Amino acid sequence: MKSKLFFLWSLITVGLLAYAVYEAAFVAPMEATMFDAQRIFYYHVPAAATAFSLFIVNCIASIIYLATRSQWADALAVTGAEVGVVFCGVVLITGPIWARYAWGTFWVWDARLTTTLLLWLLYVSYLILRRSSEAGSTSVLAASLAIFASLDIPIVYMSNRWFRTNHPQPVIFNDGLDPKMKLILMWNVFAFMALGILIAWFRYDLERLAQSINAAHIRKAARGGFAALLPGMFLFQVSGHWPPIRYFHAGAIAAWAIYLGYILILFRKFAGLKKEEAELRG
Amino acid sequence: MNHSIARLTWVNVRKDLRLEWRSRDVLNSMLFFALLVVVIFSFAFDPSVEESRRMAGGLFWTAFLFSTVMALNQSWARELRNGVLDAYRVSPSPSEALFLGKVIGNFLLVLLLECLMAPLFVIFYNLSSVGPVWQLGVVFLLGTWALVVNGTFFAAMSIRTRNRELMLPLLLLPISIPAVASMVLATTNVLTGESSPVLQMKFLAVYCVVFTTACFLLFDTVLNAE
Repeated sequence: MKSKLFFLWSLITVGLLAYAVYEAAFVAPMEATMFDAQRIFYYHVPAAATAFSLFIVNCIASIIYLATRSQWADALAVTGAEVGVVFCGVVLITGPIWARYAWGTFWVWDARLTTTLLLWLLYVSYLILRRSSEAGSTSVLAASLAIFASLDIPIVYMSNRWFRTNHPQPVIFNDGLDPKMKLILMWNVFAFMALGILIAWFRYDLERLAQSINAAHIRKAARGGFAALLPGMFLFQVSGHWPPIRYFHAGAIAAWAIYLGYILILFRKFAGLKKEEAELRG
Repeated sequence: MNHSIARLTWVNVRKDLRLEWRSRDVLNSMLFFALLVVVIFSFAFDPSVEESRRMAGGLFWTAFLFSTVMALNQSWARELRNGVLDAYRVSPSPSEALFLGKVIGNFLLVLLLECLMAPLFVIFYNLSSVGPVWQLGVVFLLGTWALVVNGTFFAAMSIRTRNRELMLPLLLLPISIPAVASMVLATTNVLTGESSPVLQMKFLAVYCVVFTTACFLLFDTVLNAE
């Protein structure tokens, strides 16, 4: 945790994030129809890419765990699911804020939206199972559920493509993206991936620490805190004529609140575990 | 004595059905629960004939999803008494036979419930189908299998958690959403006769095959999870 590599990675992440976020907010060209509201895209897409990658990590780690029963794979699986749920939460919060401006509605039952929501629900149920199963069997049961979840995702995606074809498709990739926008988007994807790796790294070390002091009773980090942000959406419902920049601000604030809130939770948990470790030693 | 999987499965099915026939715990409570849901829905919505054709698929499957969850919770809880489940685990009989037996037992039970409840739906919602009725039969068989096979698996998983009864719907519902969506859509398509339900039927069949395979491969792991 305190290793030089981790410190170096934190520095790289902060640097990347500072550059990418600045570029997204001030340098990226204004979109012709959605104006500033389109900038939410620089939070939304990187979060989605990170979340999907983390869920893939969860699936692979679960398979490795079932095959080898090694503790590190289990820790990696929890990390993938939990950090993935946080990033997926950012996707689900920033998406509707943008959609409210661009489509005039928070939600449509489009293939991508439905799949993402299902993905989020599945991994929340995974985390609930981890919390409430009996200590000895948690890892095995969770790994089995993870395999079911990863089977469900392609099915959900296909089913939505077949059954709900008349809904508007996301507009982003239809006509070629402005090269400048694409470049900044790539920077943001890198930056948020780096953030994802950093948080996941921290979370993984925490899980290993928790395993090593056998603190199975440790409370899992409180997730779903961002649900508290949902009522804020009713503000949008009231006044429909806000300038697009405000949608961008709302999206950015929501995203950062979730990221920083989760990091804070992890730090609290880390402090608790360290204390417990010290008590066990002393 | 022949110890093939088919025979062991049959023994399990017979045992489950006999236990159920003697007590009728699950069937009675499921039946009454589904009846209550039907009545509450009809109070809550009070639709016209045309509307009820559109809604009935959703109502029907929602009612069955919830009463299936009730039944499945009981099906494994019964095995916990007197350490029956532990006896299964040490017995040489393959766990797949136990699982398949449970699935078939639950499947028959839920199917019976559906046969009893379907006429009530027809009466309360004044239903008449525009499309061919035999297609409904196929949708029901596939849909019930999809619910029961995953449900039995996750019930076996959730009895190993602290809050047993609460856990099953939390695990089962997210996984079942695509299946439920296509069951509802297929049922609505048949009832309104507006489009063909064949695509959804195929999808349900794929869903059944994929998840039945996954359940079979992972059941042993879950049963012996320590």
